[in-house]
Amino acid sequence: MDFELDAGQQAWREEVRAFLRENVTDALRRELAEHDLEKRDGELAAFRRKIGEKGWFGLNWPVEYGGLGLGPVHQHLLVSEFEYWGVPGPDLTVTSVAPMIMRHGTERNKAEFLPPIARGEMVCAVGYSEPGAGTDLASLRTRAVLEGSPEDGVWVINGSKIWNSGAQRATHEWLCVRTDPDAPKHQGISVIIVPVDAPGVTIRPLIAWSGYRTNEAFFDDVRVPATNLIGEVDQGWRYITGALDLERGALTNAGDLRRGVDDLVELARTPRRDGTVPAHDPVVRRRIAALDADVEAATLMGFEAASLLAEGTIPSVQVSTEKVFTSELRQRIAEVALDLLGPDGLLAHGCAAAPAGGRFERLYRTAPLLRFGAGTNEVLRDVIAQRGHAMPSYGR
Amino acid sequence: MRLVTTEEERDLAATLRGLLATHCPPSLVRALREPGGERFPDRLWTELVGAEVLALPFAEDVGGAGGTLDDVAVLFAEAGRALCPTVVASTLFLGLAVDALGDEEQRHRVLPALARGELRGSTALASPYDAAVVRPTLLAQPVSDGVEVSGRVDFVSDADLADLVLLTARLASYGDTGRRVALLVDPGADGVTLTPLPTSDGDRLAALTLDRVVLPPAAVLLGPDRAGLADDALRRVALTQRALQCVDMVGGGEAVVERTVAHTRGREQFGRPIASFQAAQHLVADMHIALQAARLSARSAVFWLGRGRRGVRETAVAVMHAAAAYRRITLDAHQLHGGMGYVVETDLHLWSERARRLGVDGGGPDVAAAWLEEEIGLG
Repeated sequence: MDFELDAGQQAWREEVRAFLRENVTDALRRELAEHDLEKRDGELAAFRRKIGEKGWFGLNWPVEYGGLGLGPVHQHLLVSEFEYWGVPGPDLTVTSVAPMIMRHGTERNKAEFLPPIARGEMVCAVGYSEPGAGTDLASLRTRAVLEGSPEDGVWVINGSKIWNSGAQRATHEWLCVRTDPDAPKHQGISVIIVPVDAPGVTIRPLIAWSGYRTNEAFFDDVRVPATNLIGEVDQGWRYITGALDLERGALTNAGDLRRGVDDLVELARTPRRDGTVPAHDPVVRRRIAALDADVEAATLMGFEAASLLAEGTIPSVQVSTEKVFTSELRQRIAEVALDLLGPDGLLAHGCAAAPAGGRFERLYRTAPLLRFGAGTNEVLRDVIAQRGHAMPSYGR
Repeated sequence: MRLVTTEEERDLAATLRGLLATHCPPSLVRALREPGGERFPDRLWTELVGAEVLALPFAEDVGGAGGTLDDVAVLFAEAGRALCPTVVASTLFLGLAVDALGDEEQRHRVLPALARGELRGSTALASPYDAAVVRPTLLAQPVSDGVEVSGRVDFVSDADLADLVLLTARLASYGDTGRRVALLVDPGADGVTLTPLPTSDGDRLAALTLDRVVLPPAAVLLGPDRAGLADDALRRVALTQRALQCVDMVGGGEAVVERTVAHTRGREQFGRPIASFQAAQHLVADMHIALQAARLSARSAVFWLGRGRRGVRETAVAVMHAAAAYRRITLDAHQLHGGMGYVVETDLHLWSERARRLGVDGGGPDVAAAWLEEEIGLG
């Protein structure tokens, strides 16, 4: 086990940090605070173009698909830094959808979809959950029926999706559909790429407690070319469980947690509105130290998962462990911040008087998402016990 | 950065696991803790010496095998898993301390014999309550033929089996504010009284009382330029021991998880294995998560200490995770075993005792959290 970044990895991290120092401007921060990813053609759009110019959207892709050919460790280091700075980096289209196309897609899938993803022109919303298929995802019912041949026919899609985040900005849906209703529930599922502007697609916003926008998406006789099917028909479950592991891996980077505890240390030493200093209380110091120890462990878990990905495995038990640990830690950080700040910690995000710009106030509202999202922690604990320790399935 | 077990580490671990499975079964562990019974694992010791375990981290010029501290971590993980008697760790701790703090003559005198298994030892370099506190409790003064030392040292591990114990003292003389020195003391020497401190895990801890014990100059470790040992140097050795104990705790925790899962898969109630209940699975998942955090942070601490870092922060993180995880895992293992884990004949309590002892030796999670508070600027 080698815990030290080698010269190449260190240089890479320096390059990413230099880029962020130069390009994370006050204007970008203001826009992020104000609009939270919603504004078209603003500072964030310009920032994303600069990331694209660096080739970083395809940094871990093979060169043959227009990527830089760097590994998961490089991606991990980059995402950690982006999260530490609190700016969005490569999204799920790049980190999760594209690798699945590379792994399982047909040659035509790869030629058609990978180049526009690499250029930042094709962005997918992930369409998995349905009103009746959440944690029990395999019971999904959105239906796709093939008219004509697999070469030049058409898939006709009917159904609806929920928690369809990012659909308002996406160009396509990475859509999970049922193609064989008579097969056992895990076996009749396929993945089809659907342009968001296809006739029959309707997107309706859902606003979360944190202010985060997600969506419902409705599909009424939506027709897409048969060749938009990813890989083979009825094999989708295998593809998306792999994609979900990658998604968890990408979502569970500890960069924002490191930043959270660093900021908390700073806040603890800063007088509150009544002039008292939280760090004078030994209980506060002890609680922050416990968080710091957890962030250190989370950081190492991230390094380990990236190392294993670099070895060519999708370490599903490791990423499940990391996801449970980091998501519950994020919530603990928010709780400690609330206790430490007292009523100051209620001051709303964006309000000038709020400590740290209200980021901990908002963290308290955003933290629940990653605990139940991308696989609830309860199901992931089952995964750890069943795949990691061969404990029997109880019929889930 | 590559957090993957290397092939060399896997090979070393497999060799040691096989050796310990054969020569260090729970029946031996149990026999060694019986009051008044034999305390030294003769046969196991011979096998470990044959496998160069005691030579592992030392340079070849002192009879060592030229391994690294990371190799020692692999050994400690396996030792923890098999509950290898602590005299092995105690002796290696003596070797590592002499290697780090002794002069050339002392290294060449102690280490070859230790590596050959002919010299057993132990150390007491820091407070048993707090491994970062290296203020000596013994007082020494120069005499014509060396130093004379008096005082009491508590909770010395395996002193009854040791040929040499490394203790620290303040060496003061008139007009001298006092240097920190380390002393190689034979616990059987005149003036040394060994008082057993019995625990429910057997008689492996003792208090050593020294009454005007005279030691020759060769037994005194004075540090570079005879200026005394720096606190940082002593603390690094003490923290290295603590970090390796964390790896031991992780190995033990892994063994307990495996035993517990095996029990839940075999034990049926309500017509199904209790392993199929979600409540049982989630306890095991939480053990797994805690162990993952402990394993990575313990190995990280050993890695960085082996590469010259002060290691306070890394060791603090390791102790906070490993000590808490091992204790929680053993207690939840008792819960999942029910009565079958509570009776001594199923051996689970042997790990629970080790978790309790290693959890607090040199300071548990609370003590380590205080180190960490300092390190992150909240001290």
